[in-house]
Amino acid sequence: MKHIFSVAPVKRFMSNEYILEVKNLKKYFPAGRGGWFSRHNSFVHAVDDIDLQLRRGEVIALVGESGCGKSTLALTLMGLEQATAGTICFEGKDITHLSDQERKAIRRRIQMVFQDPYESLNPTQTIEEIVTEPLIIHGLASHAAERRERVLRALEDSGLKPAEDFLHRFPHQLSGGQRQRVVIAGALVLEPHLLLADEPVSMLDVSIRAEIINLLADLRQARHISILFITHDLGSIAHFADRVAVMYLGRIVEIGTTREVLTAPQHPYTQALLSVIPVPNPRLRKKRMILHGETPNPINLPTGCRFHPRCPLARDDCKRIDPRLIQITETHHAACILISK
Amino acid sequence: MAVQELELKPSVPSSPLLGFWNVFRKNRMAVLGLFMLLIIIVLAVFADILAPYDPRSYEDIQSSDVYQPPSAEHWFGTDDAGKDVLSGFMYGARISLIVGFFAAFISIFIGGVIGIVAGFFGGKIETFLMRFTDLMLVIPDLPLIVVIVALTKPSLLNIIFVIGLLGWTTTARVVRSQTLAVKSRKFVLRAKALGAGNWHIIWHHILPLVMPILVVNAVLVISLAILNESTLSFIGLGDPTAISWGQMLNFAFGRGAMSVGAWWALVAPGFGIVWVVLALTLLGNGLEQALNPRLESHHLMPGRQTVQKEAGEFSPAPDFYRRDAPLLLDVQNLSVHYVNNGNVAKAVQNVSFKLHEGELLGLVGESGCGKTTLMMALLRLLPSAGEIASGHVYFAGRDLMALSEEEMADVRWSGISIIFQGAMNALNPVRTVGDQIKEAILKHIPEFPPRALEDRVVELLDLVGIAAEHKDHFPHQYSGGMRQRAMIAMALSCNPQIVIADEPTTALDVMIQAQILELLDELRKKLGLAIIFVTHDLGVVAEMCDTVLVMYGGVTAEYADVDTIYNAPRHPYTQELLKAFPDLSKLERRLSSIPGYPPKLDALPPGCRFAPRCPLAFERCTREMPALHVLAKNHVVSCHLVEQP
Repeated sequence: MKHIFSVAPVKRFMSNEYILEVKNLKKYFPAGRGGWFSRHNSFVHAVDDIDLQLRRGEVIALVGESGCGKSTLALTLMGLEQATAGTICFEGKDITHLSDQERKAIRRRIQMVFQDPYESLNPTQTIEEIVTEPLIIHGLASHAAERRERVLRALEDSGLKPAEDFLHRFPHQLSGGQRQRVVIAGALVLEPHLLLADEPVSMLDVSIRAEIINLLADLRQARHISILFITHDLGSIAHFADRVAVMYLGRIVEIGTTREVLTAPQHPYTQALLSVIPVPNPRLRKKRMILHGETPNPINLPTGCRFHPRCPLARDDCKRIDPRLIQITETHHAACILISK
Repeated sequence: MAVQELELKPSVPSSPLLGFWNVFRKNRMAVLGLFMLLIIIVLAVFADILAPYDPRSYEDIQSSDVYQPPSAEHWFGTDDAGKDVLSGFMYGARISLIVGFFAAFISIFIGGVIGIVAGFFGGKIETFLMRFTDLMLVIPDLPLIVVIVALTKPSLLNIIFVIGLLGWTTTARVVRSQTLAVKSRKFVLRAKALGAGNWHIIWHHILPLVMPILVVNAVLVISLAILNESTLSFIGLGDPTAISWGQMLNFAFGRGAMSVGAWWALVAPGFGIVWVVLALTLLGNGLEQALNPRLESHHLMPGRQTVQKEAGEFSPAPDFYRRDAPLLLDVQNLSVHYVNNGNVAKAVQNVSFKLHEGELLGLVGESGCGKTTLMMALLRLLPSAGEIASGHVYFAGRDLMALSEEEMADVRWSGISIIFQGAMNALNPVRTVGDQIKEAILKHIPEFPPRALEDRVVELLDLVGIAAEHKDHFPHQYSGGMRQRAMIAMALSCNPQIVIADEPTTALDVMIQAQILELLDELRKKLGLAIIFVTHDLGVVAEMCDTVLVMYGGVTAEYADVDTIYNAPRHPYTQELLKAFPDLSKLERRLSSIPGYPPKLDALPPGCRFAPRCPLAFERCTREMPALHVLAKNHVVSCHLVEQP
């Protein structure tokens, strides 16, 4: 475990070893029965056939609107939802279906940061209790002194300095950014290898967002943690993610390096998402490609390409053909029939 | 004044317990209830010392002592056996309280366990436990208690158990619903993600949040148990060796107190029962208020809106937006103070700006910089602790600060309307959206012709891009974006000239955010609306604003037209905010952030409010608050640096 704290020699550490491999992952929720005597049940296709590989030390941004299934994907990876089909491999081990005991051992190494720092901390616990709790749950650091030292270090690493000042405070006495740091400290104290961050900055002010993203970038650098960063805002992760995966209605529609996706987006959905990122300069007011309507409900999926009802470039073929990911470069894939190879 | 302010202590209590006490002690009735209960507890505990006579001893009692009226020797008179009623009252309190507290403890324990287990585990366990609870609830308590006690030996222990074992049903139901609410909160999910087991979650996360409701409930269960015991004893089923108040009543009734006119033998125990039940009820109400913040006064209730003139430096707002457009709103030197226990927090100080027809003003700053307070002050909707310390707001030639509350109510929806932050959750879930828009119209224009109402609703929905057929749908059938559109339709229902949009897109996805921005932009062009767009996101306002007011710590940091703000900002705060913005054309550049947080409004720094976070701060900044410098006709900056050549 020692290597985790060593400083990375390269600017961005990333090995070729996969820490997480997701194959054909599906998560369907029953959405009520067809009728009183009908045996035909309908399903919400929250996650529908996802393939994703994450290297050790890599940051992937998973981008999409609400209802695209990105949070369900995170909960399924965490084992908080049971996968309907497919496999999840973590550090070479299949963790799709585990007993509670086996799952607990894995939990130490996969941690999660939630969206709403106002809701994800128990208001009756002090910061010390919140950050100590994971150690107690996992029976780590049995001596009080050792436990305290690890808690202080996690708080300092999360940017809460001096850590002693925060130990006896309650969440309501902290600002939103500080609370999110406490959530991160609560995850870090277990020294995880993979961090799933579910919209960790969307509830925060813009000025604070940069701080939290920089903090995560530093942690990845210092501890070689892999991060799956879930967001609806492509702009916020541009400087931080190695790769970007764009998700629409339960599927990944485009995936590539951050540079490829941001500078040469292939899927019309990615292009639209990019066009609506606010540019902080009135002289650069640009033509925005605003998609109308919202992500349709994932019970009755559109035929053919799932995006065609909202796609400004849709053709007749799009109603029939359900495109699969097409390789554009070695690292860049997109699912659209309009892509010319 | 300034010196005094620096010494203000933060009003946030250091522990929840202290915070609880601060709220609780403000409720005089609850404190009275606690005091009343303590008196009885002291009497009961120290009855051996305090009671003038020992009711268990039969010495010195003659037949002439029977039913003696109150006198100096026997303050409450004597009873049928010639014993002192006051002493009996004190010892009786002991028995009544013991039964009350122990029976309630049993009830609360059973009810708490059943409620938490049913609520937390759900499924078949919940169905079984709750149906069992329903069954117990259907059986009338008192007759069952009577039957069981009559069949068993009437000892004190039996009575406690019977009352305790039958009194848990309401507790179980209340606790279950509270558990369901707590279970769905995010910190429980977080604990699961950490690997916590069920019992750990119940003990550390569910129980502490269910506890307040359990405590409130316990107080009410105690009074019920005391009443039940009194009833049992009164009908002769009490423990004959333990003389409770109910037992005293029973003896007095059964042994002819009424026929000899010895009212005192009945009044004393009866008074005791009423006293304790009243004390517990008052205490319960107080606890509920202190533990349940939702019962506190709503933060938007109109409070004191007194205008206190305060001598202040006058800072004129520049008038630079399209001079041909008529001026709608002229805010001059508006200051807002929050007064809490004699402490004054200067939430907004000397803010001035102007708004013209069709103008879109961006009001930008981090959370806690006074943006929402400023908007609430404009509408005179400050919370009760807030007051407008100085300033004028001229709207259509009238000073809003000088209007009566009725006149202001007219201005509020038909002159200036507001779309609240997180307003999507402000829709009533059990009424259709169309109905709610109708209600909003009728509330402000009661004479609106009923026939035209339906058309008006369709017109408003069409204006915000909602098809007419959705008007009969309920809010839960709307998506987040559509709900926000419906809120905008409501804000437009009385044809206001100004719409204040307070963070209308914060909780929305980027695409929906873009849709809402496009809609607001269209509306202002179509209707000539002036819009004040409150946001923490400089990027959002760059797209469409004409003018931008950057606020920091309650004061104007910079106020200029949109191009100046983005391309030639002079205040370091504006410059830093812009740097924090991701620039997609420079992918390798690390985001810069502004370290630290905006100042607490009750602990403002003495000099420039931005000085503690400012990368360019020098000595003068920590001492002296910068004046508002008017650089050009269209550029106001509050920073010492602009003075230097």
